Amino acid sequence: MTGFAQGLLDALLRDAHLITPQLFLMTVATLMLWPGDLFVNRGSKHQWAPVTLVILAITAMLVVRTENGLGFGRMFQMDGLTRGFELLSILGAAGAVALSQRVLNGLKQQTVEYYALILFSLSGMLFLCGATDLISVYFSLELMAVCIYILVAYLRDWSTSVEAGMKYFLLGAFSSGILVYGISLLYGAAGGTTTNLADLNQALALVPKPDSLLVFGGVLMVLVGMAFKVAAVPFHMWSPDAYEGAPTPITAFMATAPKAAALAAFLRVFGTGFHGLFTEWVLPLSYIAGASMILGNVAAVKQVSMKRLLAYSSIAHVGYMLLGVLSADPVAGAQAVWLYMAIYIFMNIGAFAVVIYLQGKGEGERIEDFKGLGRKHPVLGFAMMMFLLSLAGIPPLLGFFGKFYLFKLAIEQGHVTLTVIALLTSAVSAYYYLGVVNQMYFREPAEGEAPALGTLPTFIVGVACLVILVGTAFGPWLLEWAGKVALS
Amino acid sequence: MEHLLETLGRNMFGIFGLLALAGAAFMVTARSAVHSVLAFLFTMLCVAGCFLSLEAEFLGVAQILVYAGGIVVLFLFVVMLVEISKFKQKARLEVFQNQSRVAIVAVLAGVAAFAGVFRNAIFGKASPDALVLRPELARGLDVAKQNAQAVSRGLFADYLLPFEILSVILLVALVGAVVLAKSERV
Repeated sequence: MTGFAQGLLDALLRDAHLITPQLFLMTVATLMLWPGDLFVNRGSKHQWAPVTLVILAITAMLVVRTENGLGFGRMFQMDGLTRGFELLSILGAAGAVALSQRVLNGLKQQTVEYYALILFSLSGMLFLCGATDLISVYFSLELMAVCIYILVAYLRDWSTSVEAGMKYFLLGAFSSGILVYGISLLYGAAGGTTTNLADLNQALALVPKPDSLLVFGGVLMVLVGMAFKVAAVPFHMWSPDAYEGAPTPITAFMATAPKAAALAAFLRVFGTGFHGLFTEWVLPLSYIAGASMILGNVAAVKQVSMKRLLAYSSIAHVGYMLLGVLSADPVAGAQAVWLYMAIYIFMNIGAFAVVIYLQGKGEGERIEDFKGLGRKHPVLGFAMMMFLLSLAGIPPLLGFFGKFYLFKLAIEQGHVTLTVIALLTSAVSAYYYLGVVNQMYFREPAEGEAPALGTLPTFIVGVACLVILVGTAFGPWLLEWAGKVALS
Repeated sequence: MEHLLETLGRNMFGIFGLLALAGAAFMVTARSAVHSVLAFLFTMLCVAGCFLSLEAEFLGVAQILVYAGGIVVLFLFVVMLVEISKFKQKARLEVFQNQSRVAIVAVLAGVAAFAGVFRNAIFGKASPDALVLRPELARGLDVAKQNAQAVSRGLFADYLLPFEILSVILLVALVGAVVLAKSERV
């Protein structure tokens, strides 16, 4: 072996331990496709979801055990931020997989590829959480997004699903183009020597005045590309349609796991990476955050479809979380966003589990379908009420503490106007969440027996509700723990 | 005559570039789909010529192999399998008439933004240093005797992680095509 090849192998072996979880996920997903699928008979294909859950649990363990470090030509970094958000992505994916089994069996649409694509997408998210170079940020984003485009269009016989997938794909490709163009501008402005975030931060700070428009344009375009991926206003157009058309477990997936990963990238690129350019992006990002809160909450009021309502509410929640990215103290911002995202995942997966339960009866996902749920199925109705009240941030539920820490940080950092907008729009959000509670408790239920919930969804609803109720008791200490456990 | 040949040789890049543009224009405007594919093939060969004139032999050959060899054949298959004839008579001018105002405004805004951003880059002073990818990679380029060697260093040393992620993206695209078109569901 020549010296060059030997050097490559040494470098690879030295850095490979940083991406063990990703390597594990990609290998297992490929093996699931072939030969895994050959060895199971038709009936057993219904059982892929539990297998996937076991794989996700192993991945989570690998993520926890991976040591901190920087590798692959400084393109991937494993640290507290990476590990914390990787675990959140895995949590979101696990929730979506657990909800998938019953839905796909009911529709007779079960395949192994569905689960393999979720795993491939998750590996992209894990790369994204730790990407420290604009090139690796871009490629991980693409790996994550390409899988989700396919999954949104998964129900190929349903025109809504195919239409949603097509829309999402076209707009996603367009936004990727903007992101790459922005990256190329920054690369050029920094002298064409590097795309590494730390190096760019230093190089761009030294750019002479006449070229500052180039830097501003580049930062703005990267901001637009990233805002599209987290569905922040005004780059949210795809989100309600994609949420409504996608199979509901995939909607739950899109609302949680990719958001966690994309916010990690947001924190890494803007919070720590472009910290020296704070003055360039703080104003545009403030507008994006404010617009997301206002439009997300106001548009949600008029929705009749529960999936669209949750889509707009997720736009609004992203607006709140961007407050953490705006923090001039990146560590405090990352902690607050992490805690908010963790709480949000539990509430959202729980709410989607109930939506899926109602869909299983052959009804749609309209808000009217919730009428009388509280009387017909008291336990489920109570759990759903907890999720909704917590999403609205009504004290003393867990969602309140997430908002409280985030808003407190924003005020400390001087974003007073934005915080006032956030508080007012939270009040608006309580209106539409309580509208659903109103349907559940003060309307007559429709005729007919309530079917059973199923094992995995019961488990999901139970765990999510338990976390919210127990977490509420420990609310005041949560942020401290979040800092210790996840982001060390 | 000799003078002419010399001029041609010096402006190889420009000639191939103009030919590629002409081919692309013909591809967009051609009425017959097969003509479009042939124009596309011509454009791709001209782009390969551009690469060769820049002494990027590896990219030039890869361009011919991948585009002229693989993708054009794929396009021809699609053209033969899909019945194009019924779309032929649709007037393509309609599209332009409906969107003309919006399109003109969008293009003008794009030009203004481009001019604004690149004002200094285009009209300003030229940088004293040559444009290099990364200092460490540039050293590799000095050592590399051939173009292919330099490309391999870029792919397998400096950009190993993105390269591997990209290969997974291609695998996922393949799986996606099967999922959406063919897979048996139970």
